Amino acid sequence: MAWGDDEERRFGGDEEEEELDENDYKTQKDAVLFAIDVSSSMLQPPPSSDNKKSDKDSAVTAALKCAYQFMQQRIIAQPKDMMGILLFGTEKSKFRDETGSRSGSGYPHCYLFTELDVPAAEDVKKLRELVEEGEDVDEVLVPSKEPVLMSNVLFCANQIFTTNAANFGSRRLFIITDNENPHGNDKQAKSSAAVRAKDLYDLGVAIELFPISRANKVFDLSKFYDDIIYRSPAEEADTSEGVKTSKSGDGLTLLNSLISNINSKQTPKRSYFSKMPFELAPGLTITVKGYMPLHQQKPARTCYVWLGGEQAQLAQSETVKIDSEARTVEKSEIKKAYKFGGEYIYFTPEEAKSLKELDSKVLRIIGFKPLANIPMWASVKKSTFIFPSEEGYVGSTRVFSALWQKLLVSEKVGIAWFVARKNANPVMVAIIPSGSLNDEDQDSTVPYLPAGLWLYPLPFADDIRNVDIKAPPKPANELTDKMREIIQNLQLPKAIYNPLKYPNPALQWHYKILQAMALDEDVPDEMEDLTVPKYKQIDKRVGGYLADWKEDLAVMAKEFMELRATKRELEEQEMELVERPRPAKRQKAAPGSTAGGRSSGHHMSNAELKAAWENDTLNKMTVAVLKDVLASKGISTTGKKADLLERLGAWIEENA
Amino acid sequence: MADKEATVYVVDLGESMADCHNGRVESDLDFGMRYVWDKISTTVAASRKTWTLGFVGLNTDETDNDLANGGELEGYDNISVLQPIGPMSMTELRELRSRVQPSRSYGADPVSAVVVALTMIEKYTKKLKYKRRIILVTNGESKIDDEELDAIAGKLNENKVELVVIGIDFDDPEYGFKEEDKSTAKKNNEQALQQLVDKCTEGVFGTMQQAVEELSIPRIKPVRPFKAYDGPLTLGDPDKYESAISIHVERYFKTKRAPPPSASTVVVNHGFSQSQAFKDEDEDVDMGGTEFSGVKQMRTYRVNDPDAPGGKRDVDFEELAKGYQYGRTVVPFGESDMSITKYNTKKSFTIIGFIPYDSYDPFINMGETGLIVSQKMNEEAELGLSALIHALHELGSYAVARYVQKDDAQVQILLLKPNPGLEDDFECLYDVSLPFAEDVRSYQFPPLDKVLTVSRNVLKEHRLLPDDELKDAMSDFVDAMDLSNYEVDEDGKPVDYAPVDEVYNPIIHRMNQAIRARAIDPDAPIGPPAEILLRYSKPPKKLLDKAKHEIGNLIDAAELKKVPEKAKGRFGKKDAVKPLSGLDIDSLLGGQPKRAAISSENAIPEFKQMLAAAEDDETIEKAVKQMGDIIRKLIKDSFADVFYSRAAENLGVMREELLGFEMPTLYNKYLRALKKSLLSGELDGDRRGMWYKHVVGGNLGLITKEELDVSDVTEEEAKQVS
Repeated sequence: MAWGDDEERRFGGDEEEEELDENDYKTQKDAVLFAIDVSSSMLQPPPSSDNKKSDKDSAVTAALKCAYQFMQQRIIAQPKDMMGILLFGTEKSKFRDETGSRSGSGYPHCYLFTELDVPAAEDVKKLRELVEEGEDVDEVLVPSKEPVLMSNVLFCANQIFTTNAANFGSRRLFIITDNENPHGNDKQAKSSAAVRAKDLYDLGVAIELFPISRANKVFDLSKFYDDIIYRSPAEEADTSEGVKTSKSGDGLTLLNSLISNINSKQTPKRSYFSKMPFELAPGLTITVKGYMPLHQQKPARTCYVWLGGEQAQLAQSETVKIDSEARTVEKSEIKKAYKFGGEYIYFTPEEAKSLKELDSKVLRIIGFKPLANIPMWASVKKSTFIFPSEEGYVGSTRVFSALWQKLLVSEKVGIAWFVARKNANPVMVAIIPSGSLNDEDQDSTVPYLPAGLWLYPLPFADDIRNVDIKAPPKPANELTDKMREIIQNLQLPKAIYNPLKYPNPALQWHYKILQAMALDEDVPDEMEDLTVPKYKQIDKRVGGYLADWKEDLAVMAKEFMELRATKRELEEQEMELVERPRPAKRQKAAPGSTAGGRSSGHHMSNAELKAAWENDTLNKMTVAVLKDVLASKGISTTGKKADLLERLGAWIEENA
Repeated sequence: MADKEATVYVVDLGESMADCHNGRVESDLDFGMRYVWDKISTTVAASRKTWTLGFVGLNTDETDNDLANGGELEGYDNISVLQPIGPMSMTELRELRSRVQPSRSYGADPVSAVVVALTMIEKYTKKLKYKRRIILVTNGESKIDDEELDAIAGKLNENKVELVVIGIDFDDPEYGFKEEDKSTAKKNNEQALQQLVDKCTEGVFGTMQQAVEELSIPRIKPVRPFKAYDGPLTLGDPDKYESAISIHVERYFKTKRAPPPSASTVVVNHGFSQSQAFKDEDEDVDMGGTEFSGVKQMRTYRVNDPDAPGGKRDVDFEELAKGYQYGRTVVPFGESDMSITKYNTKKSFTIIGFIPYDSYDPFINMGETGLIVSQKMNEEAELGLSALIHALHELGSYAVARYVQKDDAQVQILLLKPNPGLEDDFECLYDVSLPFAEDVRSYQFPPLDKVLTVSRNVLKEHRLLPDDELKDAMSDFVDAMDLSNYEVDEDGKPVDYAPVDEVYNPIIHRMNQAIRARAIDPDAPIGPPAEILLRYSKPPKKLLDKAKHEIGNLIDAAELKKVPEKAKGRFGKKDAVKPLSGLDIDSLLGGQPKRAAISSENAIPEFKQMLAAAEDDETIEKAVKQMGDIIRKLIKDSFADVFYSRAAENLGVMREELLGFEMPTLYNKYLRALKKSLLSGELDGDRRGMWYKHVVGGNLGLITKEELDVSDVTEEEAKQVS
């Protein structure tokens, strides 16, 4: 595997902490193998119907479509994770390189359609051809005449995981079938399957069953699958999540139902920390686990490719540290020091450790506050989700639940001191509950997020920027009333922001183009960007109000401007009466300035700047004034005067 | 901020400064210098060429200043310029440190020294834009000639110099310090200095006690406001629809995470002379000093090559093209079409729609906050934005907007929250960024208020659910521990405890204080962290006392039991794992012919099952021996590193199981032997990668005493075998 760079990011980067659970010798990667039952009932097309919303796919096609979508999502969101597709109950058999027919293969009627690996462009293409164009050139979607042995299927999966996904932290087998009882009363076959299932369990492979029910018949797990499925070892006792059956009906196609069930298992549940002592009060500690359900996904970085061989190959990079004499430095020689006044200030490793270690790993409540006491701007970092675990203290779950319920009811938050792991920097967090106490869960504002508690990082005084500007309230009364009508008419659907409706256009575009290039297809030149407002709808719904509002605004703005001018004049007159003649202005350059009283660089309006630029009088400004102006625009203030002028010019051209 | 600064410290070095007063065990000079060194080192830390400082010694044995050197003026004796005004680096700091020593002199006039400092500043700063300051530190034992105070104050004001006088044991009724048995002379001198400060336009007069006490209060580095966006905020598309509205706004950062000081990677310089300073990798700063020098990174690139030894070979950087990965397919790009995958965007800020307050939860936001105000002196924008803010506020609504900071920047979705400025007189919108579809991972968790059984029943009473007693106890506890109202101010109004702007980042200031202290005195040990930095790490004691009763009740109702460490036992004590049906798989296994030997292809399950069935040490030893052989064979047969992960997984399982069986010696013995084989080339070639990357890197080292009590391997020993 070629993830040289990745290793470095895991151990070196601390900015976006990768989700590394401590003491874990396994790599934090996920491998998913789809096992799709190819039986005649699975292949049966749905009854034809004129209804647009009715099923069009056979169960196998729906399953393959799911796998296809899963694969594409995986490439974008989990580029290091593997997936594979194993068809079982097929007439043909195929495992690895051995392309045999009925006999020959060690696993009869198992057809490894996509090898378990990080998907390649060809895998995507091959799967797409099968599901979208129905090109089954190898005739793999033909059910076998004799039944497949589930023990074989399971052991085949075992071998695939053992060799391809060795040492993966998460390995999951997704079984999609409509057959609740593959072996009938054949006890021998049943117990062989159960034994192979235990092997998978011992290997650390979790089996996720996606049963498909037919004609509203309940898929009876007790017939066979209860002997195959184990509670995931990561789950707490007695809180099984349950197996969700997919079916067609209730206005949902089988495909949609399956997609929704499988999507909920897209990402393996990786904990960000575990066995975290959560101190509610002195002498009252429970244990919790932490997760990161929100994580900013970015397009992958560029890599270096070697084109010298037959195939383009990723070049693995290694870094060597060298000193000033270009001598390679051994790891043991490296020390950490801080730059200070042009020199390095050094602490011994023990000292450095003691400096960083203000507290051990802990989440400690220091008290509670009404949610309303947290300023609306007090945000610096995404939140972490916590959920109780009984691993440290038995009874953690019920105490956690009581706290969660209380915070929801009273609209309060906990304020806590939080050290995510040994040597992590302490932060202050607000503990905020999610979910609702309503059984139907209709009220939840975040249906896409789990119910529990969130650690919401609060900014420190150091993180608050002092914005040195004034913004007193303005007299915009009638305009406000009119604006209200506009707002009321432009609510988002269901009155919530549902992120699932807004894919990141940059990511989508990046992978769309990449996919086309990887498959040697035409590069698309546009894409629907769902983040762009529905302009037409806006115009249709509130166009009249908007036009009206704009007219009023123009009138009021004019009045406001005149009022200001009069006020300013008055003030100036008063000043002249009271004060001695003002000392000569120190201000040297006020290019193009006409209005009095605001000529210092900082307060020059864009219009004034533009005028100065057009009249070529910008260069009359002093460096100090220039820097002020640039800084106020957020532009770099380094360099010589010519550089400053150039930068300011460019800015004015673009903005003013 | 980035303004130029010129500060002159005038410090009394007279013989009385060497004495200890008022119960202190450090001399007046050391006491005062705590303040001065802290100030100076802050300047040094900033490493700014435009932040300059000078140092004047008062009551020095020698006399060395321009005014006295001319020989015309009197009253400038025993005043020495120890450091002329200039930028301050560690080198100057060290030199200065050696010069700041108490003298055997007395009687020089502090005000004369101020004049010397003023002259230095005048000469250095000329008429340029500078922030000018003189800081005088004295214990007030030196006689002051107060005849010319007016003239001197006038001179200071004329030059726009701020005068700061910090006196040791000076009285300060406001702070609440009064020195008993103060000599008349000192009293007079204090008064004279107070008068001088009062005459200055900019002046501070204070006592050293307060100054030293305040040193532990963190100072926050001011950052200039950064304008992230300056342009229209639109509703509708002004290019296409006449109805669309456009408000000219400016967006600034309201919060931005301040990073703790970051350490550089350095090495100790070797014996040979370091004639030229080494350029630091990321900045063009010459790093002085001789003890350490920076380290550079050099990258090398390798590709797989079946013909090369070890299966890999180095390639030159020039041979490489840039590319992206699509799954495991690499897509090379020419330098010219690298940008083809970049989504082209235009700078814009436009509202998508609105949502009510109660449909948003703070924990879905992705990070830092911005603030949005209208363009200055633009009446249309000011009124327009104001109307939007107030309408949102009145309706209890937020706006959701699409934001592109500049052309070709990434799209962000921002939530705009109205702040009508009713309380803080600051009318603006605050914004936080919201997640995209790809940023949300759907993790499933069981419900917290009910238990679903395997048979799909819903239980409302269960040991995992709180009963009413626990719920009530929790409710009382949470209410009793309220931070928002347990303290009141003079007017009886509740005071919010630990408001955001009073809580400092403990690591940043702990590090900065320690670095400064080390820079001033390299030999001093690190002191404990300042109280203020840990103040919010625990509940306030007063509150705990108040809530004592509720806490006790909650503890009783919770009935928590600590899980004992290492509950795992040895043989047969482990609960057999069963599938949902509860079927006893082991009995099925028992029914089969006993697995005599562990097979390589199904090694982990078979190994685990053999151990689970083991009834004596011998079986375990046998299983470990077999597993060990499998691991060695995998490594031996491995072409390059293809089987390393498998071998590592097997080894990990072996380690984990032996930990559980408390048989560390078996593992440690195997591992030592394995290391020897790997490094000696005994397993068919260079297998060092297996050892370093997988065993050491995968935390599969020896089982130590710390990890498992019965182990006889110390941490030190384990480190050596790594």
